[in-house]
Amino acid sequence: MAGFRLPRSVGLLSPSLGANAIFFVVPLVYFFVLSFLQVRSFQVVFDPTTSNYVRVLQQYSAPLASTLSLAVTVATIVTVVGFIYASACRFIGGSKGGWFLAIAMITLFGGYLAKLYAWRTILGENGILNTGLIELGLIQSPITALLYNNFAVILALTHYTLPLAILPIYGSLRAIEDLPIAAARDLGASDGRILKDIILPQCATGLFSAFAMTLLFVSGDAIAPRLLGGTSSSMIGVFIQDQFGFRVNAPMGSALAFTVIAGSAIILVLIGLGGTRLLRLGARP
Amino acid sequence: MNHRLLWAAALIVGTFMILPLLVLVFFAFSSSPLLRLPLEGLTFKWFLRLAETQGFLGSLTNSLLISASVGIASTMIGTLAAFGLSIGKPRFSGTYVSILALPLMVPPLVLGIAFLSYFSGLGLRLGLHATIIAQVVTLQPIVILIVVSRLSGFDWAAVDSARDLGASTWRTFIDVTFPMIRPTILGAALIVMALSLDDFIITFFTIGGENTLPTLLWGMMRKGIDPRMNACALIVVAFTLLLGVIAMRLTRNPD
Repeated sequence: MAGFRLPRSVGLLSPSLGANAIFFVVPLVYFFVLSFLQVRSFQVVFDPTTSNYVRVLQQYSAPLASTLSLAVTVATIVTVVGFIYASACRFIGGSKGGWFLAIAMITLFGGYLAKLYAWRTILGENGILNTGLIELGLIQSPITALLYNNFAVILALTHYTLPLAILPIYGSLRAIEDLPIAAARDLGASDGRILKDIILPQCATGLFSAFAMTLLFVSGDAIAPRLLGGTSSSMIGVFIQDQFGFRVNAPMGSALAFTVIAGSAIILVLIGLGGTRLLRLGARP
Repeated sequence: MNHRLLWAAALIVGTFMILPLLVLVFFAFSSSPLLRLPLEGLTFKWFLRLAETQGFLGSLTNSLLISASVGIASTMIGTLAAFGLSIGKPRFSGTYVSILALPLMVPPLVLGIAFLSYFSGLGLRLGLHATIIAQVVTLQPIVILIVVSRLSGFDWAAVDSARDLGASTWRTFIDVTFPMIRPTILGAALIVMALSLDDFIITFFTIGGENTLPTLLWGMMRKGIDPRMNACALIVVAFTLLLGVIAMRLTRNPD
């Protein structure tokens, strides 16, 4: 029977692999090829060129850099805050820890647009925060600097990605056993030492996947900057979307999309390498 | 570790995560058309106004139709794949899982646009079917990951005994394996349905002229402040939360 095992598993996998190939791999490859083509009189013509990428680097390097730095900011905040929160879920025992975890799970659902919309009603000039502060007598006139800028975009995207990031971090923290921690403490290790030598090395994968997920999501987002960002906070996602709207230049949009993905990938590789080095150094006595 | 400090930090973060959702809930029932404090009175009128809005019922139907189709299709495909991975050689399953999980790593905007170009490049029509296909591909990895993790702790002894007693592969699956993992499969289906209902970006690029609740909400959001939006947002939130909470209870591991 052993000989039948592999073919059967392939058979079970084939609908999934097939759907993935036809509707994920092929569209993405097609989309990638598109980035080397050109548009002439509103028609995509087959004339391979790298000029789209040259133009991306020439014309869009500023929004590209600001998008990636915003994405790194959000990913860093989310990873650090997510780690603290996940630690609370893991290390505060009993019903409290369970409640914290439940909040993270619940806020995982509840709608991307709905959340962005909620932030708009909170931060707006006549929003809940301003009217509430005026009602309390803390401010006289509404603060207009809350909405339509990078701050609002960062806040809303942090809020959206945080529950997504908490899960992998919590998953890796849950795998850490209590015994080595208790042993280290009995031998006189400080909290900082336990964190550095036991907890962080074991949840590095969880932290990295939380960071990677957030970075990729934020760097490709077009909706938060449109709804909450100002005219100055031009994220690359908005430009990508425009190429498929009124600019009608799909190859350019594709080149923009793959450039920002490549930028995120480079950041992730550098952080991955740096992180391993750091852990190796930290592991030395 | 300093538990009190950790507890205080988690309390602040937890409040930050849940407060915007509570704001949505309260203002969907606020009688004043202005979204400001203090709350004046409570009312259901925004829901009634929303129900009368042109296109609302169509969007609701589309949302439910897409969510149900995506839930069923991706759960079937994903569960089969998870079984394939669990009986295949462990050496390959890691690679397969990472290949199959790739759609989760691509930003939704890129996926949506890639799909749009692919469909228009092939000369295929956009619409509900395109949205369903796109969502199945992006959401089936979630089913695979959930079911694979359940099967990794699965006790195959019961399955082996059924086989030893002469049950066919199919009978074993129907009578033994499936009842054991049914909560997990149902939970995975509900999670996918919740994520499908919530999806805006991929739907926006693939649905053509149709609307779902999130794209309807988007249309209203671009026109300005309107309390019907709170009602619409709350319906999306309520649906996804309900599905999510049931799913969480079902998929909770027995350990």
